[in-house]
Amino acid sequence: MSGSETPRPGTVRCEHCMQEAPATAAITAVIDGESRHFCCHGCLGVWEIVHGGSLDAFYSERCDWTPGRPAFTSVDPAEFASLVISDGRTSRIDLSLSGIRCASCVWLVEKVVGRLDGVLSARVNYATRRATIEWRPETVGLEPILSTLSKMGYAPLPGSRTASIDAAAAEKRDLLLRFGTAGFFSMQLMLISAALYAGFFQGMETRYRLAFQLISWALASPVIFYSGFPFLAGAFRSLRSGGANMDVLVALGSLSAYGYSVAMIFTGGEVFFDTSAMIITFILLGRFIEAGSRLKADSALTALAELQPSEARLAGANGETTFVQLGKISKNELIEVIPGDRVPLDGTVAEGSAEVDESMLTGESEPVLKACGSEVYAGTASLTGRLVIRVTAEPGDTLLSRIVRTVEEAQARKAPIQGIADRTAGLFVPATILLAAVTFLWWYFMKNSPVAALMNAVSVLVVACPCALGIATPLAILIGTTSIGRKGILVKGGDIFESVSRTTTVVFDKTGTLTEGRPSITDRIDYGVSDAFMQHCASLEAWSEHPAGKAISAAWKGERLAVDEFRAIAGMGVAGIIGDEAWLAGTPALLQKEEVVLDAAHLREAETLRKEGKTVIFIACGNRLAGLIGLIDTLREEAPAMISSLRTMGLEIIMLTGDNEEVARYVAARCGISDVRANLDPIGKANAIRELKRNGETVLMAGDGINDAPALTEADTGLTLGSATGIALESAGVAILDDDLALVATIIAHARKSFTIIRQNLAWSFSYNLVALSLAVTGMLHPIFSALLMASSSLVVVGNSLRLRKT
Amino acid sequence: MESIFFLLGIGLIFGIAAWFLFIWAVRSGQFDDTEAPKYRMLDDDDEVRNKPKKTKSRKTDK
Repeated sequence: MSGSETPRPGTVRCEHCMQEAPATAAITAVIDGESRHFCCHGCLGVWEIVHGGSLDAFYSERCDWTPGRPAFTSVDPAEFASLVISDGRTSRIDLSLSGIRCASCVWLVEKVVGRLDGVLSARVNYATRRATIEWRPETVGLEPILSTLSKMGYAPLPGSRTASIDAAAAEKRDLLLRFGTAGFFSMQLMLISAALYAGFFQGMETRYRLAFQLISWALASPVIFYSGFPFLAGAFRSLRSGGANMDVLVALGSLSAYGYSVAMIFTGGEVFFDTSAMIITFILLGRFIEAGSRLKADSALTALAELQPSEARLAGANGETTFVQLGKISKNELIEVIPGDRVPLDGTVAEGSAEVDESMLTGESEPVLKACGSEVYAGTASLTGRLVIRVTAEPGDTLLSRIVRTVEEAQARKAPIQGIADRTAGLFVPATILLAAVTFLWWYFMKNSPVAALMNAVSVLVVACPCALGIATPLAILIGTTSIGRKGILVKGGDIFESVSRTTTVVFDKTGTLTEGRPSITDRIDYGVSDAFMQHCASLEAWSEHPAGKAISAAWKGERLAVDEFRAIAGMGVAGIIGDEAWLAGTPALLQKEEVVLDAAHLREAETLRKEGKTVIFIACGNRLAGLIGLIDTLREEAPAMISSLRTMGLEIIMLTGDNEEVARYVAARCGISDVRANLDPIGKANAIRELKRNGETVLMAGDGINDAPALTEADTGLTLGSATGIALESAGVAILDDDLALVATIIAHARKSFTIIRQNLAWSFSYNLVALSLAVTGMLHPIFSALLMASSSLVVVGNSLRLRKT
Repeated sequence: MESIFFLLGIGLIFGIAAWFLFIWAVRSGQFDDTEAPKYRMLDDDDEVRNKPKKTKSRKTDK
């Protein structure tokens, strides 16, 4: 919550959305004798609904609230009519809501909608962001309910936009039913099986044994044919297309134990229904966990995709605008974005200027000023002004939709080490079947013993079931990534996790990674050219996007002067006209370009500051140097300790920076890095990394997502810190959400540990299969023991992988 | 020893009853949302004012 901060001078904080709004443009309403400020009529409207229902507790309870105006979308009740289920007296609708952010949103929607006259109940599911509303059609219609929802900023979504989430939720429910059923029956089955095992060793009356065996049969059947149906179907599909996947082995292992046991009931042998049922139950458990994490990832993605509006205001030739579906807009057409709107498509600003909130893409919470020629991105929100935008990307090609696609693809990625298990499975199935057949034939003809032949062949099939092999890698990766996920580290896929574990060189960007990224002013040297030096500097830097500019702007608390003809010169500084004098702030190169006189004394003074690790901004008025401002970007507290722990892991450490040599050396020395490359632009950083890779290093690059994007992409692993945002995820494989540098060492150590465990798992399951198979073929392994071995080998792998939960 | 059949039968009946309960729970959406319900008990039900009907006090059961 940002409510406690005092707004900047000249602005007020909106009561509802917590954003700053210029005092002149704000709406002030006197409610209950108290005057309150709002940034727009929309916020006032929502506030009135909340306050009118005496639900003000919402404002104290809401957490995790992203400042932002409610998105107002017009809702067409006709789109929802098909979702209504009516039984004459009451009607019911189940719909997806956008904008549900935390539990207090759930509370607010339930209260406000629940209090509408005629509404019987309103329930919101936080996990799926769906609302179920029941009402009496004779008292209230669907339309007022929908419009209340959208007036609060929780626009209902028509089914088409949420189809994939619905499908995933349905899949999870289906899996839960199958897994739950398998669990219940397997538990009962194990009870009976324990009795049968005891009977095998101690002897048992035949009629009891037969009864127990029949009950086992009855209990195992639903597990195999209902719970195991997805595997049976998958195996059938795979066999029909000529391949052999894991499903084939699961189905084969389970069905052969089942089929053999049925045969044994009638011939008086031992049954192994527990084996066949447990195989299915264990593997379903794995799938169920996996489906849960996929569903979570899906709904996060949908929330991101929802940022893109579905309609845009197309600007006509005579200044009129019409609402048009995005699909009907082509490149180079002009669209209009009014304050509070989200930009519907990527483009360049053709007219107007506005502050735009890009936090959803860049993580930068301060709005960015956009004027003629600036690029704007779909999904960002215009806060203060009207923009006319020339469209440069089709709806499916915006930065936002590319990000969504990247994340989607990332979810499907597998670690290369997984390939070992998959390739093996392809050969394993036919080989196992062949081996079982050979075993059967050898015992049948050479030893002339049909019973032993069948027993040993089944032993081979059961013991060969590569459950351990199948879960060795995915389980360890799942546990490994979720346990670091709890610490706020996101890993995009198994392959990324594997390359983190193989890292040999770690490259750090300086600004914002090793340092705080928020410079503060340490020195002000005023040469007395102007009597209000700081006021001029702060006014000039007010719209600068550079961290140094922001620091200078923030250092002046008083009134700001009007700046005309403001321009930012990329990588050099800013310029503008204050009063009737031209002011400049930036590097010496900028001042030289603008023909400002710099004498040796000034440069020496600047040099002294730089030696202390400070960045120096030169300020000029007219063609004279007005002063110098020295800023220091403090080193993160945890940096030196983290660097030394990386070094004890045997990693090379390199620092790359766009800053100058002196500042870079100063920071590097403080945190113990000897290899420093300074004065690099983003492309230079990427080249440096390519050079390292050519020398055979596996490189992990830690930097911020925007300026270092080329370097992050070039490195084997890109890692971003502190901003869990779209752009960061597009270029980096690992995102650390907390602003804690120490986690860099944690993730590398953890990835190494995970892959050590995976290798142990693979080594164990391969050698287990080898030893157990040779025992089974030679007839030294009774099917009961092979089933026990099979289960225990999986347990070893599960137990070993669970060690990863402790980080 | 005959009582073993009786006991087994009881065990199975309980097991299957629990299974039906589970199926009912999944079908009626008891497992759909494991996040919000834990906050529900913390909400103050300040519905004394402008409450038109009694119907809403019963909306917690589903």
